[in-house]
Amino acid sequence: MCSENKMSGRGVYMATVVVNEKICDEHFLLRLYLAEFPSAAAGQFVQLQCRPPVAQAGAAEVARSEAGLPEFSSPELTDKESLLRRPLSLAGRRVSGDGVELEIIYRVVGTGTGWLAGTRAGQAVSVLGPLGNALPIIPDKPQVALVAGGVGIPPMIYMANALHNAGKSVTAFNGVRSKSLLPLSPGSEPISPEGLPRLCCSQFQSSDASAVVASDDGTVGYHGLVTEPFDAWLDGEAKAAAGLVVYSCGPEPMMRAVGEICIRRGIECYLSLERHMACGMGTCQSCIVKIRDDSPQGWSYKLCCTHGPAFDARDIIW
Amino acid sequence: MKMNKLKESEIDLSVDIAGVKLANPLMTASGTCGYADEYADFVDLKTLGAFVTKSISVAPREGNEYPRIVETRAGMLNAIGLANVGLEVFLKEKVPQLESLGLPVFVNVAGTTTEDYLKVAEALEDVDIVKGCELNISCPNVKAGGIQFGVDPNAVENITAELRKVCRKNKLIVKLSPNVSDITATAAAAVNGGADALSLINTFTAMAIDIEKRAPILANATGGLSGPAIRPVAVYMVHRVYTQVARPNNIPIIGMGGIQYASDALEFLLAGATGLAIGTALFVNPQCIVEIRDDIADYLARHGHGSITEIIGTLKIG
Repeated sequence: MCSENKMSGRGVYMATVVVNEKICDEHFLLRLYLAEFPSAAAGQFVQLQCRPPVAQAGAAEVARSEAGLPEFSSPELTDKESLLRRPLSLAGRRVSGDGVELEIIYRVVGTGTGWLAGTRAGQAVSVLGPLGNALPIIPDKPQVALVAGGVGIPPMIYMANALHNAGKSVTAFNGVRSKSLLPLSPGSEPISPEGLPRLCCSQFQSSDASAVVASDDGTVGYHGLVTEPFDAWLDGEAKAAAGLVVYSCGPEPMMRAVGEICIRRGIECYLSLERHMACGMGTCQSCIVKIRDDSPQGWSYKLCCTHGPAFDARDIIW
Repeated sequence: MKMNKLKESEIDLSVDIAGVKLANPLMTASGTCGYADEYADFVDLKTLGAFVTKSISVAPREGNEYPRIVETRAGMLNAIGLANVGLEVFLKEKVPQLESLGLPVFVNVAGTTTEDYLKVAEALEDVDIVKGCELNISCPNVKAGGIQFGVDPNAVENITAELRKVCRKNKLIVKLSPNVSDITATAAAAVNGGADALSLINTFTAMAIDIEKRAPILANATGGLSGPAIRPVAVYMVHRVYTQVARPNNIPIIGMGGIQYASDALEFLLAGATGLAIGTALFVNPQCIVEIRDDIADYLARHGHGSITEIIGTLKIG
């Protein structure tokens, strides 16, 4: 199933589940082993086939019942319902033995991710990717803020790691609806209820990044929207705006608010968008984003899968 | 009857679509494979018998608003709205990359007026690699465009006859809509108008509703249903058009609608299709082209057929 001699290496790969464990309500950590997989970077995603990979059976003789009727074993009758793959962002990639391990943190929202939640170690999963573009790391911006909400947090773990390796100083703002939905584990310091950055999340602490946690219901960290402690933090960092860049991933209203705050303050900001997509390869044309340009109408549709998933906040027309 | 099993290498998969020789019957369904470069990393497109482009209209089209797709049981709805780069950019930028495929190319031609279709078809007469125009008179997703030509037999015959005059070098393929009471009537009309081949079926006009908002999920309200859900209807329509229109007039059919596996493809061949187009399945597994081709050869070998043409239209009805 591996791709053949592709320049970029992008292709369809067969993976084996190493770990698939629940890390909080609705969220699972999936670690996949692949004998080979191209280099990938934070911001990129893969398309997982959320059903058992089927061997092509077109040539096999159709089995018969005792009455001589064909026994239908077509995958559309035997598989779970989801036909299309599910786009999931990478939370990490590392070399493991002779191969590669990909880390994905996903939230169970429907049939496809529901099937994925039931996979066990050793099971095969078809992976298409890597897709999309890496989040841009800006050379002259030494300071970085990550603002994430819900299932937008996992790709920011990967990004924090990449930024740390690039020598950046990182602060991670994380918003959840409630404590039970926080896909992060404790660090060496307690989470600040005032929304102040602390070494309070192990996933970010490993990148020397302090973190803020906010919850809508006040069950963990700051009681309120994550954009509030983020905005307050910027007040203290205002002088550094020229050396600061912001990346955000999460629910669209949150990203929109983050974008508006940054535009108002003149801070460079990239929003990693989520769109329904069938292919992820640029052909189905479904994952459109309205982007400002210098055409007569002032905008054109760009594809989230091939042009994104991250876009400059100033360019997005909501 | 005892079959003499042949070696797969001895199997001749080549077919002839109205004088255009194809190494095998497989092609892309329009709109599911862009202009070829999108899939270059994921599958060797030279495996195909022919390449069918996304719809081309005279002027570029941005297409419909988001959301454009929704997954349904064993299928999906799309309402892309014929988003395309337009004739000028197609000729300048896309044709060179299609030339590098070294395959016969069929260009899907869309328009809102007869003049639009004629302008595109006329321009394609000067492109060597293009061997045919596939007349899109059956897109369900564009208001005042295409579909009204496709549901009325008189309109089908008239526009086919008009296109016939400008398609001198290029073969004229008419893509039929399933959204009619009798597809053999529109098929006969296309043949009377001078079509060299028929392709069927386009998608079914369909709708999915968000029950909480009590509103359609797609921005366009309706979309075209594709995928395995439509295959049995597509097979039936190919069977009817083959027996009542195509076979008596010696007109080849390009069959499509939900083909995922070789067993699906074989149903279409037995029902009377000479060519086979793959659409939605490419979104899920771009390499299915290779798998379907090889499995068809395996089936033919097992049944002692040296050439794929020996099984076309050999459905036995008692």
